[in-house]
Amino acid sequence: MSLKRINKELTDLGRDPPSSCSAGPVGDDLYHWQASIMGPPDSPYAGGVFFLSIHFPTDYPFKPPKIAFTTKIYHPNINSNGNICLDILKDQWSPALTISKVLLSICSLLTDANPDDPLVPEIAHIYKQDRSKYEATAKEWTKKYAI
Amino acid sequence: MARTSTISVKVVAAESLHKRDVFRQPDPFAVITVDGSQTKTTKTAKKTLNPYWNETFNFNSLEDSILVIQVFDQKKFKKKDQGFLGVVNVRIGDVIDTSLPTSEETITRDLKKSNENLAVSGKIIVVISHNSNDSASAAAPASSSRPSIPQLNGAAPPAAPSGDAPEALSTSQPAGATANKPYSSFEDQYGRLPPGWERRTDNFGRTYYVDHNSKTTTWQRPTLEQSELERGQQRQTATEAERRQHRGRTLPGETPQSPDLPSATSATSGNVTVNATGANAPVSPAAAVSMAASGATTSGLGELPSGWEQRFTNEGRPYFVDHNTRTTTWVDPRRQQYIRTFGPNTTIQQQPVSQLGPLPSGWEMRLTNTARVYFVDHNTKTTTWDDPRLPSSLDQNVPQYKRDFRRKVIYFRSQPALRILPGQCHIKVRRDHIFEDSYQEIMRQTPEDLKKRLMIKFDGEEGLDYGGVSREFFFLLSHDMFNPFYCLFEYSSHDNYTLQINPNSGINPEHLSYFKFIGRVVGLGVFHRRFLDAFFVGALYKMMLHKKVVLQDMEGVDAEFYRSLKWICDNDITDILDLTFSAEDERFGEIVEVDLKPGGRDIEVTEENKHEYVELISEWKISKRVEEQFKAFIDGFNELIPQELVNVFDERELELLIGGLAEIDVEDWKKHTDYRGYQESDQVIQWFWKIIKEWDSEQKARLLQFTTGTSRIPVNGFKDLQGSDGPRRFTIEKAGEANQLPKSHTCFNRVDLPPYIDYDSLKQKLTLAVEETVGFGQE
Repeated sequence: MSLKRINKELTDLGRDPPSSCSAGPVGDDLYHWQASIMGPPDSPYAGGVFFLSIHFPTDYPFKPPKIAFTTKIYHPNINSNGNICLDILKDQWSPALTISKVLLSICSLLTDANPDDPLVPEIAHIYKQDRSKYEATAKEWTKKYAI
Repeated sequence: MARTSTISVKVVAAESLHKRDVFRQPDPFAVITVDGSQTKTTKTAKKTLNPYWNETFNFNSLEDSILVIQVFDQKKFKKKDQGFLGVVNVRIGDVIDTSLPTSEETITRDLKKSNENLAVSGKIIVVISHNSNDSASAAAPASSSRPSIPQLNGAAPPAAPSGDAPEALSTSQPAGATANKPYSSFEDQYGRLPPGWERRTDNFGRTYYVDHNSKTTTWQRPTLEQSELERGQQRQTATEAERRQHRGRTLPGETPQSPDLPSATSATSGNVTVNATGANAPVSPAAAVSMAASGATTSGLGELPSGWEQRFTNEGRPYFVDHNTRTTTWVDPRRQQYIRTFGPNTTIQQQPVSQLGPLPSGWEMRLTNTARVYFVDHNTKTTTWDDPRLPSSLDQNVPQYKRDFRRKVIYFRSQPALRILPGQCHIKVRRDHIFEDSYQEIMRQTPEDLKKRLMIKFDGEEGLDYGGVSREFFFLLSHDMFNPFYCLFEYSSHDNYTLQINPNSGINPEHLSYFKFIGRVVGLGVFHRRFLDAFFVGALYKMMLHKKVVLQDMEGVDAEFYRSLKWICDNDITDILDLTFSAEDERFGEIVEVDLKPGGRDIEVTEENKHEYVELISEWKISKRVEEQFKAFIDGFNELIPQELVNVFDERELELLIGGLAEIDVEDWKKHTDYRGYQESDQVIQWFWKIIKEWDSEQKARLLQFTTGTSRIPVNGFKDLQGSDGPRRFTIEKAGEANQLPKSHTCFNRVDLPPYIDYDSLKQKLTLAVEETVGFGQE
């Protein structure tokens, strides 16, 4: 089931690419993709290009893809290994979701962080206590690692 | 000063290239030139605006050397513009300082137009480095000085870990942690593992650690600070706690297994009080003479079998001591010789059991409190006066069906097929080779030999087996043979301790004879009343009872998969899912398509036939995929325990029969419970705990099975309870209406408890939910 579905998603991405993100297989292995997300303009990540790696499980789409940032990013829901804390990648996954929809969700996570369910509590704390400090650090990291 | 050095240029990727064609994407490649004289070319990426090459090239370069990288579309390379997609020009000295011994920089540059003035867009990412200490191999070092660089390594970590072959396992990465570089299986982001340790990932992508020194596995990462000795001590402490828990397990209707004294000699009032509530209802002596097949009569039944003795409690109640097995029981061993049934004309028919043969599968014989025989059909949960082996009569006033584990156990034990045969079965093993030695010893004997009194001996150790030694034997052996190290069983995704058959066990060509052996050991434990320290997923107990597995059982096997199947059931799938009646099975890295029914790969799954698909894929995933292994396992089991006898139990009872019943500490349970929508002081919660305290061990275990999927309690108590996504404390959530039954979510160890209005309705609803809900996974 997975291969057919992954191929279909690839075709759909080519036909109707989502704005501000892209994705596709790394090599001949259709189960391993690379994606990139442009930092949303209304966020401290604006101007940055963030790369992500995508691994599809054999049971895809019954199981969520494993997605992680490979570009360093300062965000309360993304840790230093690039792991993303996003419900649709865990227990809220549904087979109706696609890579395109997941990437758009990650884009909106960049605009609206969820500090109440943090993966990195220190960043979440700063996000809540001192928003301008958080934005400055996020901008600095974006400039340093993603531009 | 002009000095030549070797630089390495890694062309990582380009981004958002210009889309020159409406209908197709380019096949981009890059040409790298230094000073117009040295030229290298990357491979071609296919159909993408975001090519990823990640290739490294070495060049001789001066500080003033100019690096030119051009990107072209391979499909148009022969055209006039050569499919030009952009160029960057870089002066080496502007990026790295070649006077330093080593340096490395990552640059991201916008692609520029050429003289042709064609539209160009996008960026390119390049890593430039040099190392004058080791100019021979100036390729970008694996350990970058800046871990922040988007290291899109060409050496891609292996695809999804599910179903990986062991060779692949050893190199795969922890789930989700797509770390910036691939680690060998002897290290991770925290550094090297201690010598002899290996990091592996299981079929569910979870990381575990294998200690080849002690042939053990653990979820906990070992640290270098700890010495092998300290680790050994720690392991021993943990094993000791598990051993204590194992020894404390019992079954209702049986004497507790005291580790200190042989039960036969300690069969005093101490033991008797445990059973004081009575396996058999009290009977008046006057009625005893005329009653059928009572365990309380002595006259007319003849001699006790050899090695048996009748004794009396302080209250004058008779019980029986079996010196052959050093056990005690309320049940008269002669009771099974004859049965009498009330015929249609209330005449008593008496027939030897042997002429009637055994009861049909799933049936049990019981006595009313007036000692009248009736029959319980656990298949249909009905009762009848009629012996199912005789012609039928009218059923009047037959006692109502009641599931009664204690009685089932007594009945089960009393069956001739479970009687210990005369003679002895000697098994001698080395403690540190217990799996290997037991395999040899148990497989060389016939099933009949294994039914003789068990005499276990550990090599080099004194001690006669009066129970303690065989208890230790089953404890140690169950730890070893189910160890995921041997790839025969694996921990389920449900928590990290319930076991299931590893679909990839075929890596070991002998695996089927090992499964048969394990089946024999499980049967041997049940036969000789010894518990294994092992708990399976609910579905495996159902399979052992030849029950059909259903979607609900999937929850215990693979929670994520279950949620998706549930989603399919609950939603319209038209035009959303591209499924056929087939499954993909990963066998040692190779993906094989399997039909779920004949020609399945060409049959579309539609809204109309989706339920059939869900049923078939659940069955495939849970049982069909491990059919061979399971068959070998159950064959081994049935050599000691006949299928029709074990069928009186339901799957939850079977778990207790194999693993025993632990004494559950309600205070500890309560202490480590979370509430959602309730507070501990709420009336309903107080009632809840009051009911639990009043319940006996079996009812408590059944509530645990209902809410967590297993009766197993972590060795260190409820604080270590695990769910499908890591530690999950027992949780009571306020949900549902007062007229509904409580529901459970076994993945999250949660029970949805409606706010019932009084104690009695809570007790009635909770009992009903725990007793009557079939299957393990309840959603």
